[in-house]
Amino acid sequence: MALCIRCNRCLEVCPYSSIKREGIGLTIGTPYVLAEAKACYLCMACCRLCPTGALDRELRHPDQARMGRAKIDTSLCYSHLFLEHDVLPRNSGEKIGAMCNTCYNVCPLQDKAIVLEKNLYPVILDGCVGCGICVERCPTRPKRAINVSPSGMGRVDEAGFYFRKARGHYDATIDPEIVAESKVLKGEKLLEKKSTIAGPNEQPEFKFPYDTPKALEGWE
Amino acid sequence: MMFRPFRRATQVGVFCLMFVVPVLNLYEIYSITGTFYAINVGGLGISDPVVILQAIFASGDLTLPILSAAIFPILLALLFGRIWCGWMCPYHLLSDAAFFLRKGIRAKFAAGGKIESFVVPNSFKANVFRFGFLVVGTMAAGVAGIPILNYFNAPGTVSTEVMILVKERCVSIEIGFIIILVCLELVFFPRFWCRLFCPTGSLISLFRNRFTLGVGAGLKPPRTPCCKENYCSNICPMGLAPFKEGNNLLCTNCGRCIDACRTHRLRFVGFQRDDV
Repeated sequence: MALCIRCNRCLEVCPYSSIKREGIGLTIGTPYVLAEAKACYLCMACCRLCPTGALDRELRHPDQARMGRAKIDTSLCYSHLFLEHDVLPRNSGEKIGAMCNTCYNVCPLQDKAIVLEKNLYPVILDGCVGCGICVERCPTRPKRAINVSPSGMGRVDEAGFYFRKARGHYDATIDPEIVAESKVLKGEKLLEKKSTIAGPNEQPEFKFPYDTPKALEGWE
Repeated sequence: MMFRPFRRATQVGVFCLMFVVPVLNLYEIYSITGTFYAINVGGLGISDPVVILQAIFASGDLTLPILSAAIFPILLALLFGRIWCGWMCPYHLLSDAAFFLRKGIRAKFAAGGKIESFVVPNSFKANVFRFGFLVVGTMAAGVAGIPILNYFNAPGTVSTEVMILVKERCVSIEIGFIIILVCLELVFFPRFWCRLFCPTGSLISLFRNRFTLGVGAGLKPPRTPCCKENYCSNICPMGLAPFKEGNNLLCTNCGRCIDACRTHRLRFVGFQRDDV
């Protein structure tokens, strides 16, 4: 950071526009990679061009880079869900999860950064460089099941700049129309709804993943 | 010989280069990359010396690759003085345009023919001010650990904005800095940035020595203007009196005074061991 002279040469040569510039603030104009927003494809073009050595010139191979580390959210990952919920009731009609493993398939450092544990579900190893290609390809929406935390910023409260960027990125991906359609009440509207509940006769609207039977057969 | 057409051609050429470099890079021709903070021409790294100074102070370490990038501009400054400012700097071209517009507007609306006076007319005070700005900025960079003066680098900002414009078809917030500078020069303080602030100009002018190219008026420079119109002093963009202050650190070797001199006494001197 101290060495970066914000000449933006790295940004200029980046063929994928993965490198962005910081906006208003003390670090204005400083280039950064936010793997969450746009993955780095590890072409290593920027490193050898940095005039001051803010990017290490000795880096030649993708596995030498250290931008961060991916983390899989097992409560969202299709592969993990598929395995956990394999014994769902037969009548559900809808199966949660799938044998997705997209992250494993797209990883440029396959079997170094990510492996398929028991050939079933992906697990991140220490070889992960935090390029964010898996985040880009992860099919879960609106939140991705795999995320990159930039190195040296493991804790959310310490992450600062990157955390704010990531949060802004998530806010941008959430489609307001979908939120409106799901009829999830929040804040003032939720309070209003709660205050109008008249008595115990009113039933809350639950959404089940399967059809609730109206009557049970054989019971009369 | 008139220097003006050559100077304008160089200025416009450098200005166009700012647009050409990102276009080449879009077509993956990387033989020339960078902005005017730091540019790389066929493997030769050239960086703004102020930027290098900032990086050294902010990071606290002195490495050879960093220093080597400043060699070419320092060599240029040792030989030709502030020639970067007068002949190449893209901001100086904008400043020239602002000054030209201002002159036109004044001729139309204000009392025509009156000579423009600069903010700090005294060249010594102007020098003290800009070197003070450079020193304070460098110290601030050392304290903060961030190259702060880079945020006030007009040529670097212009070229970065051009690069972003070509590459991403948008401009960032820093274009506001350039717009503010040009507007201030247009409305209130003509030429104030290059004379009183520009850190790059301050640093490279420090390399001026007796060997360096400069403006001279012969063996015995006159103490008073030779002609009553005082053409050279009136045209000098740095507010100097070229007939006696040809060696001033503010001088950008733009050659305007030489073009303006009717008596042909002013000319470029330099590259000699003993003073002319």
